[in-house]
Amino acid sequence: MIPKNVMSEPSWYESSARARIEGLLDSGSFEEILPPQSRVMSPHLALFDLPPAFDDGMIVGRGQIDGCPVAVAAQEGQFMGGTFAEVSGAKLVGLLRGVAHSAGTRQGVGAVLLLLDTGGVRLQEANAGEMAVSETIRAIIDVRRAGVPVIALIGGRAGAFGGGGLVTACCSHVVISEQGRISVSGPEVIETNKGVEEFDSRDRALVWRVTGGRSRVLLGGADSYVKGDVGSFRKAAAQARNSTPSFSLETLEREQERLTERLKLYGSCHDTPEIWRIAGLPEPEGIADMTEDDFMSLLAKEGLHHDAR
Amino acid sequence: MTDWTKQKQERARRLEAAAPFVSGKVVEPGNVTALLKSVICSEDRVCLEGDNQKQADFLAECLTQVDPADVHDLHIVQSGLVLSEHLDLFRLGIARKLDFSYSGPQSAAIARALDQGKIELGAIHTYIELFARYFVDLTPNVSLIAAVSADRNGNLYTGPNTEDTPTIVEATAYKNGIVIAQVNKIVDEVPRTDIPGDQVDFVVEAPRPFYVEPLFTRDPGAVTETQILMAMIALKGIYAEYRPRRLNHGIGFATAAIELLLPTYGEQLGLRGEVATHWALNPHPTLIPAIESGWVQQIHCFGSEVGMDRYMSARPDVYFIGHDGTLRSNRLLCQNAGLYACDMFIGSTLQIDLAGNSSTVTPDRIAGFGGAPNMGSDAHGRRHISDAWLKAGREAAGSDGPLVRGRKLVVQMVETFGEGMKPAFVEELDSIALARKLGMPLAPVMIFGDDVTHIVTEEGIANLLLCRDADEVEQAIRGVAGYTPVGLARDRAKVEELRARGVIRRPEDLGIDLLQADRNLLAARSVRDLVTWSDGLYAPPSKFRNW
Repeated sequence: MIPKNVMSEPSWYESSARARIEGLLDSGSFEEILPPQSRVMSPHLALFDLPPAFDDGMIVGRGQIDGCPVAVAAQEGQFMGGTFAEVSGAKLVGLLRGVAHSAGTRQGVGAVLLLLDTGGVRLQEANAGEMAVSETIRAIIDVRRAGVPVIALIGGRAGAFGGGGLVTACCSHVVISEQGRISVSGPEVIETNKGVEEFDSRDRALVWRVTGGRSRVLLGGADSYVKGDVGSFRKAAAQARNSTPSFSLETLEREQERLTERLKLYGSCHDTPEIWRIAGLPEPEGIADMTEDDFMSLLAKEGLHHDAR
Repeated sequence: MTDWTKQKQERARRLEAAAPFVSGKVVEPGNVTALLKSVICSEDRVCLEGDNQKQADFLAECLTQVDPADVHDLHIVQSGLVLSEHLDLFRLGIARKLDFSYSGPQSAAIARALDQGKIELGAIHTYIELFARYFVDLTPNVSLIAAVSADRNGNLYTGPNTEDTPTIVEATAYKNGIVIAQVNKIVDEVPRTDIPGDQVDFVVEAPRPFYVEPLFTRDPGAVTETQILMAMIALKGIYAEYRPRRLNHGIGFATAAIELLLPTYGEQLGLRGEVATHWALNPHPTLIPAIESGWVQQIHCFGSEVGMDRYMSARPDVYFIGHDGTLRSNRLLCQNAGLYACDMFIGSTLQIDLAGNSSTVTPDRIAGFGGAPNMGSDAHGRRHISDAWLKAGREAAGSDGPLVRGRKLVVQMVETFGEGMKPAFVEELDSIALARKLGMPLAPVMIFGDDVTHIVTEEGIANLLLCRDADEVEQAIRGVAGYTPVGLARDRAKVEELRARGVIRRPEDLGIDLLQADRNLLAARSVRDLVTWSDGLYAPPSKFRNW
């Protein structure tokens, strides 16, 4: 049974990028930069006979969570797969540079929230998109060096793939839900290049076992795991704002050590149940099918094994 | 002297010919093609089970390997023609004549084969109709069937996907035919005896389990707001008005939306316990929230559904469960239940014409009928009454009295524009062009207009029961056809008059708030929600997962 009071909670997975922002921030606090009214659109899509979007699928601006100022960027996964492109990339990079620039001043914010929902670079404007990804990564590092945490919230239909996976990995803190996925090469890409024997993209249970929220949080690729409703994402974002590790050499060295160890332990595994077995988790085959409550108590018991990112 | 035992002697001759390839009733997989060659003769009527879901796929593969010089011109009589091997039989010349019901994935291939003259088509039947002819003039000489397990005496356990098997075997075994079963496993003792061993001649343990297609799983994640609006219109304008307790739902997204709205919008309308308590229905995963919320008393199933077995076994008060603890389905009996014992059928279609005739045929696809024409037709043999049935009959007659019989509610739900923005409403059905092309005297029609009582679109309901002549039917249909060419050609004055009489009812006439048509109104918004509703008992196939 699903209790009546949660049956109709707005879900992150279902919501549009704008609805996510609305549910995440204090009511009425969002001030959008380059909103749809200013019609800054992709100059490239018309060449391919594709309809552009007034916001190019990227919504950026400032708002508040529990009265604390934050910067927000949200990708609309339903427009062109939430891709990184010239305009959408510039909006994101501009927002991040602005945050780094104003850090410590009266215009400074307490955190940046990245609501990523993306298949990666928009192929129709691939060069601009690839540049946008690297500029975004650079800008995130600058923001973090300026002492402002960057928090990724992953739980949309498109997941965080390609450049989106790289960007996610550069954040101070990653919040994910069961439906969320993080990876670089997407399932279809792997299948196309390496064959269906290597990765069957239509085996959706496999896709989620490898890239999905539960696996990512157990492996340390995400730091918080939330139920899929918008309220849970808001709560996690508010908490993460105050609990990110410092961005220091020591932190990065510890993370590097953890990753080296992880590769040594699990590098030869082909699927996550093999990893869970080595890690000594109970019911390694059943992790994906546990109820949300059971999985969250397992997480609480196991603890999160990485100390930094 | 007339010889009255020719069939018996022929059967004995064939069993004799089979002897070198069998050990008792058991056949090794490698001997199956030789066995088939020895027991099947050219021009035989053969049923190669071929259900809506379950497929005797190993036997089908073996039959395609016999030499057409030895076995040819078979007459295939089976409900489902859905495997490519089924078509290969005609391509290779092993089979020539075909009588069937449903083709699903092979609908384009059948249309091509008919066009090329590879298939001599008897008829496209409804399920009960084909099964009826098994006992009159389409009795199989040989039936190749599928079961879950068998013992060495040929007793079969057909399990949740029993489907057509008892009917096929009954017709074949009692008319001196030969029955061969492929099973997933030969066991010492079957969990329950669905088919007694003395009706089964041979069993083979197939190299892989028989194929079952998940046909009835609709992902709540793909239900649109338009479908939710149509479901609200149906619930308020039809379920709440007529209160049908016994019903069948089609397998489309529109009816899946209704199922998902029962515990929410249906509850708001106070309909729990008042409607939709008894069903002739496949195991739709989208009905789980309504079952768990106490809406449903009983469901009989045509077949099973991949992933639903454990859930149904744990809900024996609702489903028909054998003493072994697993579902027993039966397509013939459930179709019969849908025809005679249901007050309402509600389902989708591809095209509706100005008389309300509907069809799923397109110029290059013949999907067949399956069961919708049985569910979606008024049973003239029905004599028992119900409030819903009587109300519909009285609306149609415009009067009541001891000789005014009832009507089954037959409701068609379509979005005015279907897939690929093709209008659902047409001046002439594509099936008429197809019939012309293939020289068929009767165009394939899924449900004839005179059986349809209501058409629901996002524009509202057309109540055809209240229409008094063909012109009113046409304008009622145009009136809910929205911006399709058929809808734009409506007579505005006539449509407003029909609306004033309640023949056409718009959402606002029903007091439906359009803004409420939101995905948050669904009792489950994802397959994962369905799993949660089922207490983890529903195990969806991998392709429906997003976790």
